Amino acid sequence: MIFIKKVGEQSYILANPVYILETASIVGPKEKDGPLHACFDKCLEDEFWNEKTWEKAETKILRETINTCVSKSKIASSSIDFCFAGDLLNQCISSSFGVRDSNIPFFGIFGACSTFAESLILGSIVIDGDFAQNVLCAASSHFCSAEKQFRFPLELGNQRTPTNQWTVTGSGAAILSKVSNGPKITAFTPRKNNRYGNKRFK
Amino acid sequence: MNKEDYQKYVEDKSPKSPLLLDCLKAFAVGGLICAIGQIIFYLSSSYGLEEKLCYTVVSISLVFLSSFLTALNVFNRIGKFAGAGSLIPITGFANSIVSPAMEYKSEGYIMGVGSKMFTVAGPVLVYGISTSILVRNYVYFIKFYISYFNLKRR
Repeated sequence: MIFIKKVGEQSYILANPVYILETASIVGPKEKDGPLHACFDKCLEDEFWNEKTWEKAETKILRETINTCVSKSKIASSSIDFCFAGDLLNQCISSSFGVRDSNIPFFGIFGACSTFAESLILGSIVIDGDFAQNVLCAASSHFCSAEKQFRFPLELGNQRTPTNQWTVTGSGAAILSKVSNGPKITAFTPRKNNRYGNKRFK
Repeated sequence: MNKEDYQKYVEDKSPKSPLLLDCLKAFAVGGLICAIGQIIFYLSSSYGLEEKLCYTVVSISLVFLSSFLTALNVFNRIGKFAGAGSLIPITGFANSIVSPAMEYKSEGYIMGVGSKMFTVAGPVLVYGISTSILVRNYVYFIKFYISYFNLKRR
């Protein structure tokens, strides 16, 4: 068997390019203060967005991002064949609840920082393999729920170092399509995992 | 560029914590908390409580104050400013129990508050208590050995 789509050690070229039809993003208040605030579809004023918990707020952010993306693309949500989405919480809870009412087959993925790139790669593989016409890719995270899940409670009186990372509050979504004339995905290279980290620095 | 060089490069570029300023802040706030404790001690002893009870009153009052300020979302700001200054006294311990309790209230009172309350303080409790038991037993056996040795010599 010959893998014609595999080139070199670990790179793959798609037979037909996959186009990014439409994108959408909703972010939290800290991202609003940043230099990119004009690029987002919506900036929230507070972390809760009229919800009771941070997890519910994250779910709402993801759901609204997906809705915005679908309505901007002007295609019916019934013509979207798959949804690849992920987040940082247990059981990918905010994505699975976020796409629950969308009537789109859903694959939950977990890749931490790489979740969105992972969803784009998987989506383009599915489209290139002729399993789908349109695929929805999404990822979300929420500073407060991520702190709760992985670090310390927000009320704990500890200090952050100047180089401490700050998990994004927000969500991004993209619709991949077979036919369009926007930016396109032509190839991808997944990194090989090894316990020494990235081989570039060895 | 190998891994060590890259690590060094990153360390050179990243901003450092102001160590001296942080120490001064911790010293000032920690000292203030101790002063408040001492004031409570004097107050309660002026009401005629005996010394041992006064220490208990001080602990209870500081724990209450810290828990109350945590609930008002004030203590985490003090902690961000003072660091170890508010973390090392008993106030930090109270904060480390109240803050997960508040955080996990959204997951219910039994599986949330009840089971997650000690996620931060739990290791301190387990190893603190275990170490104290170990040390106590060690001291006990040393004492026993010394007295036994002394008896034999007589």
